[in-house]
Amino acid sequence: MKLPTLVALNVLCAMTVSHALAEWRFDAETGAFYDSNLSNSDRASDVRDDWAWKSDVRANDGFQLTRDLRLNIGADLRGEVWDHFGSFNEIGIGALSGLRYRFGLGRQAPWLLLENRLGYDRFQDTERSGYEETIDLRGGVSLSERVSLEAGYGFENYAVPDTFYDRQVHIGSARVIVDPISSLQIAVGYNYREGDVISYAVPPRPDIRRLATEEREDDTTFGSNPLFTAYKLLGRTHSVSVSAVYALTRYASVGVDYEYAVTLHDPLQYENHLVAAKVLLTY
Amino acid sequence: MNGFRVLSLLVLVALRNNLSAAALTVTVKDAGGAAVSDAVVYAQRDDAISGLVKSQAVIDQRDKQFVPYMTAVQVGTSIIFPNSDNIRHHVYSFSPAKKFELPLYSGVPAKPVVFDKVGFVTLGCNIHDWMIAYVAVLPTPHFQVTGQDGRASLKNLSAGQYRVAVWHPSLKGAPENAAQDVDLGSAAKELLFTLDLKPDFRAKRAPGLSTGGYR
Repeated sequence: MKLPTLVALNVLCAMTVSHALAEWRFDAETGAFYDSNLSNSDRASDVRDDWAWKSDVRANDGFQLTRDLRLNIGADLRGEVWDHFGSFNEIGIGALSGLRYRFGLGRQAPWLLLENRLGYDRFQDTERSGYEETIDLRGGVSLSERVSLEAGYGFENYAVPDTFYDRQVHIGSARVIVDPISSLQIAVGYNYREGDVISYAVPPRPDIRRLATEEREDDTTFGSNPLFTAYKLLGRTHSVSVSAVYALTRYASVGVDYEYAVTLHDPLQYENHLVAAKVLLTY
Repeated sequence: MNGFRVLSLLVLVALRNNLSAAALTVTVKDAGGAAVSDAVVYAQRDDAISGLVKSQAVIDQRDKQFVPYMTAVQVGTSIIFPNSDNIRHHVYSFSPAKKFELPLYSGVPAKPVVFDKVGFVTLGCNIHDWMIAYVAVLPTPHFQVTGQDGRASLKNLSAGQYRVAVWHPSLKGAPENAAQDVDLGSAAKELLFTLDLKPDFRAKRAPGLSTGGYR
């Protein structure tokens, strides 16, 4: 038998086995999102808030490789439409893979999850469009049937031809998840984010210019009256968040999230209040 | 003449059985007066020695759920766990009454699991965390699981003194706390149990916050 035929047969066999072991899953999330300080401005007069409609659809195929090890491979499509500031409108596609190891049997066993996403985000303001790669390492442990802890580290690399919008970010997170009743999950979390941020301000701002790694004058992201200057900075963000998800049926839930974030780059400091209300579907 | 004697004997046996066979209807309610479904009602006579009445039961896995949610069996019964889904399941139990594991499988496992110790067993699936079911392994052949109306009927009980008990996964305390003694004659009897239940808590299949369990 010739080598290509052999390879083709092997691939066919592998696909058959994979199909038998695989488990498809479809998830969708859609809802309203509000950012009290979309411009990441420190001065009240520069702050621009806005709300958006965000959606995310994901198809996932899971392979239980052994009792404890699971491989997930998937793809997602996501989009954001902002009410006033269309420069942030975007559509993105991505490919995902994740490897989860559970240390033992049952839902209360501790677990580790390594996830990777490669994607492309196309913005209405095309200068922002670029490739995104994220790597997440997360772990969790159940303290009881109703209480669990999760913590993780993530790295985000957003590569754009226009380097002003390039960003590299490290994120550390921890949260406690409580199920007060079967249908309701509540999470309280803390995130630490360190990396590139873009802050908008009406010039002149020599204090920010001194800190900025790059700047862009006469930026029209937030209109032209007045014109803003966009400053790229290395920032440290501390945030606390509260999330709640209520199960409506076996396949649908509703959720709300609130996050309060403070970003620091002495002496610059700005705050964001982020609110989301969404519907989650799974099949 | 010989035929007449045999016929008379049969009639007498039938009459005797009819006189001694009693029916017991049990209604199970919670503290708020609502009907409790999936409660196991069982009646036991101290002096009765009974063989295994039904030797095999089935707990299916359909649409990523155990069916039924509650199963009652007599001790010594084998339970077979077919997987009717087109994906694999991994059934396990940590319960002292029966610890076992059926590693990742499709179709019907080659061997059933024998439940050889009296007690209450919680079943789970290692792949689908929301899948849960219970098995009540009982020392008696007289049992039934309550329906949506909270009622169970135990039929063909011979006359005598019985201890009737009720168990439910959310029951506070031991099943002995939810037991009543009853003297059964030939007449049908009704009993009411009011259970003190913990709030029902089951992991949900719906999308939630954690991604670490299988979601």
